[in-house]
Amino acid sequence: MIEGHQGSYDRIKSKTSLKEILEVACSFESSARDFYRDLAPKVSKNIRWLAEELAAEEQCHYDLLRGLADHPDSVEQVAVEVQTPANNTRFSDAIHLPDLGPRPDDQAVLQYAMGREHIAMEHYQSLADGTAPGPIRDLFVYLANEETKHKAELEKLYYETVHSGGV
Amino acid sequence: MRDIDHQDRGGLLGPLKNLSFFARQPITEPLGPRPASANYRGFHLNDWDLCIGCSTCQKVCDNAAITMVKVPGLAEDPAKGIRNLRPAIDYGRCCWCALCVDLCPTGSIALSREYVHTCLDSELDSYFILPDARGIHGTPYPKGWAKSTDADLVALERQPMTEQAAAVRIENFAEIVAGYDANQALIEASRCVQCGMCHDACPTHMHAPEYIRAIWKGDLEGAVREIYRTNPFAHTCGRVCTHRCETACSVGHRGAPIAIRWLKRYAMDAVDHARVKQIAAEGRADFISGKRVAIVGAGPAGLTAAFDLVRQGHDVTVLEAQAQGGGMVRYGIPDYRMPADRLDRDLDIITSLGVKIRYNTRVGVDLTMERLQAEYDAVVLGVGLWMGRSTRVPGADQAGVKRAVDLLRAVAAGEPIEVPQSAVIIGGGNVAMDITRTLARLQQQRYGEVRITLTALEDLDHFLADADEIREAREEGVQILDARGPQEILMREGQVAGLRTWGVRSIFDPAGRFAPSYDPADEQIHPGDLVVEAIGQAADVNLLGEALTEALQWHRGRLQVDSQGRTNLEWLWAAGDMVRGPDVVSAVADGHRVADSIHAYLSVQEHAP
Amino acid sequence: MRPENYEAQRQPPSYDYELNIGPNHPGIEGNYAFKLRLNGDRVIAGRADAGYLHRGFEKLMEGRLWIQNLAITPRICVPDPVPMEVSYCLAVEDLCGLVVPERAQWLRVMQLELSRIAAHLFIFGGHAATTGMYTPMFWGIADRDLILDLFEEMTGGRVYHIYNIPGGVRRDLPDGFGERVTNTLDYLESRLPDYDNLLFTNQVFVHRARGCGPISQQQALEWGVTGPNLRATGLKFDVRRDDPYLVYDQLEFEIPTEAPGDAWARALVRRREIKESIRIIRQVVARLPTLAGPIRCPIPNPLAWNVPAGSTYTRVESSKGELAWYVVSDGGERPYRTHVRGPSQMHAVQVLEQLAIGCRIEDVAQIMFSLDACPPEVDR
Repeated sequence: MIEGHQGSYDRIKSKTSLKEILEVACSFESSARDFYRDLAPKVSKNIRWLAEELAAEEQCHYDLLRGLADHPDSVEQVAVEVQTPANNTRFSDAIHLPDLGPRPDDQAVLQYAMGREHIAMEHYQSLADGTAPGPIRDLFVYLANEETKHKAELEKLYYETVHSGGV
Repeated sequence: MRDIDHQDRGGLLGPLKNLSFFARQPITEPLGPRPASANYRGFHLNDWDLCIGCSTCQKVCDNAAITMVKVPGLAEDPAKGIRNLRPAIDYGRCCWCALCVDLCPTGSIALSREYVHTCLDSELDSYFILPDARGIHGTPYPKGWAKSTDADLVALERQPMTEQAAAVRIENFAEIVAGYDANQALIEASRCVQCGMCHDACPTHMHAPEYIRAIWKGDLEGAVREIYRTNPFAHTCGRVCTHRCETACSVGHRGAPIAIRWLKRYAMDAVDHARVKQIAAEGRADFISGKRVAIVGAGPAGLTAAFDLVRQGHDVTVLEAQAQGGGMVRYGIPDYRMPADRLDRDLDIITSLGVKIRYNTRVGVDLTMERLQAEYDAVVLGVGLWMGRSTRVPGADQAGVKRAVDLLRAVAAGEPIEVPQSAVIIGGGNVAMDITRTLARLQQQRYGEVRITLTALEDLDHFLADADEIREAREEGVQILDARGPQEILMREGQVAGLRTWGVRSIFDPAGRFAPSYDPADEQIHPGDLVVEAIGQAADVNLLGEALTEALQWHRGRLQVDSQGRTNLEWLWAAGDMVRGPDVVSAVADGHRVADSIHAYLSVQEHAP
Repeated sequence: MRPENYEAQRQPPSYDYELNIGPNHPGIEGNYAFKLRLNGDRVIAGRADAGYLHRGFEKLMEGRLWIQNLAITPRICVPDPVPMEVSYCLAVEDLCGLVVPERAQWLRVMQLELSRIAAHLFIFGGHAATTGMYTPMFWGIADRDLILDLFEEMTGGRVYHIYNIPGGVRRDLPDGFGERVTNTLDYLESRLPDYDNLLFTNQVFVHRARGCGPISQQQALEWGVTGPNLRATGLKFDVRRDDPYLVYDQLEFEIPTEAPGDAWARALVRRREIKESIRIIRQVVARLPTLAGPIRCPIPNPLAWNVPAGSTYTRVESSKGELAWYVVSDGGERPYRTHVRGPSQMHAVQVLEQLAIGCRIEDVAQIMFSLDACPPEVDR
């Protein structure tokens, strides 16, 4: 889900099979990965690690969803995961999506990344809410869950980077 | 009273009376073991979970019966004051006086209620044991002589420090603590058990046991000499050190740790400044190496490196962007904690050794790193963390929202600042406390009242600020609200009007990592003309320039240095807060580290053909 | 051991011969030799020879912290270790100006008097044994053990208590201790008639002990005799009464004396002192419940304790006589010099050598024991 564009929301909403949905979700992850990969050389070297790490992270997400897409029988696994929803709590000084200018600093990149995950999470959640109970709804819930976990990881990184010097 | 008539020549009848004893039943004591009396001093028991391996038992042992033995696999943590040493007892020497028990700082040692140990010649080694909680024979006999308030010989109470009362100190910027007088210092120093945990825990491994002992002996110059072995920021660290030594102090396990920092302060203040200068100059090289070193930043890290290098005969120039030296100690720590005249003394001693400081010289603006590289044999970066982080919540970019470091710097430099009638501070660390209490004093002076609200994400148990700072800030009339997450800067007619926050339900996950959980229903508005962000700081590395930034290795946003503080470039070292995070004494340690490395590098150059 | 004492000496031809008693001998409580010159069974001369027990305590103490010396002091005398601890602590307290809490002073008195009884039981059994009667010895040792049981409870140690510390004592009493002390005292008191029957009114003992090794009051004063040995010459001198320490001036007790100054009188004085000590302890037991409060005044960290410069001589009345520490401090962490005045030093050397002359060989051991000489006090 890229930057919460209504277009992507509609695009996935129109899909009806698990595999189709997963394919689209995969494409979101890969485009996010590509975005960070492109970002890396543009930022100062001292914060390049951040863009590289985020790209690697998105690659992991992609690999996970790719695996699900290639093995639709693993939907049972999805149902199990749905039973244990990740806790979404909003870390608000981070979710205001900044405009990533030409030379963003580490904080801006992190805020941007958290914003992405947050919006993706909300959209999957609303897709789940708008879907009748069944495998597809479970899948949306699962995806929303995954995005929540990703965001939680980023929040930890954010705190350690931005708040660490406050002694 | 003549109950026995000794004039009598005695008789035969008396002894015969005792034949009646033949008619009595003999008494037979059972052979089975029985525990001795409740206070019996039997064999040693040692609770390994409580024992910290401080070796105090060994020190007080009359007969050198105790040997400290390294036990691999046990916890070893210098920062917490734990060594993996445990006492072993030689019962060929032990005299069962139990002084080891009475002087044990933690109370881990006790003696059991067991009477007997004996063995065959072939098992003579069994008289040498490494006692644990199960005792000499592995059979749990109950504790006999153990730590009790009656017999405890550890001096658990600290000498109180005289301080200005809150109502008085809020009116001024004078140092809050009065310091120890000679008698207090002597008594405080006498509490030390000389375990050396403080030395191990100190980032720069100060010889605290030695200087404490010297203070106790009344040899204050000796104490200063011990202090200068490892720390040229002696006045500074005597006042604002984060005193990890005291966290590790073994006496602190049951009582108040030795006031090591205040003792250092006492020794430094008690010796005449001119004499301190002489002592600091002792052992200085009597030759000139001909090597030139440039140090960027006259803070604790840079100047410690400069101090060491000058003592080793090198020519050192320090480039400082500000008008005075000391770095964050001067521009970040308010006078009531760290009086500027004491910092001046530290600097005076360092410069008296020949360190040259060029003030008002900003590298990256007034001259480039490339030029330093060309003109000097080695360059040290010690630029500190001068860039205040912002929450970047909506409104954070307004003029009425400031960063704590910027405000503190302005106050320290004597620049006029606009004192707000009411202020909101975001942050729960010591920097937040510093700006809070500085503003409180300014408010008191200007308006006769303190109106400051401090909000922090962390709950009080997880505040990064020292407990003393929190307590004292509260005493000074500051409202501290913990567990509040900033949401938005409120504006009214183009002016900052306050801060909106949400309650934080929990902030850390079970692994101790940041995972905040907010409660949007718990919303509060904190009015204030000024909002100060004190959530964190970063190093301003723009001075490096793009090419150098590219050439250097970085690690998660910080310059990557090796264990000696050297970057991947042969001529460049980095030290202090920008590498280690904010801490004066760690910066001093870092300064020594890079100075050693540079000296080794320059010496090799010297000998190269 | 001084080798010159054991070189064969050229003597004119005679029927005189030499005999060594000791150094291991039941006639004395430690390793100690007494070299006799005899003609038949009559002693012509005696030469006391210490040195078998020398542990160099006084020198050793100069190298140890003030508090570390606590463990050494009681080891100077096994049968009566408490006066050593107490007088050393009194010396340090005197130099430091420490004020010992009252409760601790009473506890010290209890410990001192229990120790006196234990020592007297020990020695009176030994004295009996030297006259060939071993039952009193067994009884004395067995009953002494009951006191050691009390010590174990009170101090944590049976023989070497290390209970005193400069400033007070190390432990308060366990619950119900007063009652147990009273029980033991009741028992000991009930035993006294048995002892009297067995020994003090026993014809054999009376005949052997009376007139044996007599000391006149004049001699006693000239030779530096103290304690029961001095009181057995009729002089009523006791440090507890004449130079009171601790709380002895608040206690009621008699100073038993006898006139003849012989072995019999010495044994009898000790026998009477047992009764007086019991009387004192009963007063302490009655008084202690009224004394709340600390058992030790605050003292510095033992590892950083400088005792102010000065010297002091603190004497107490041990079971053997006037026992004292002479302690000199140069203001440091360790004593500059310590010296023990062990009463047995006089009794076992100059007195014994004099008393032995002219007596018969079988009485030598009795004289030694009746003087209650403790060799470790001679050889520190």
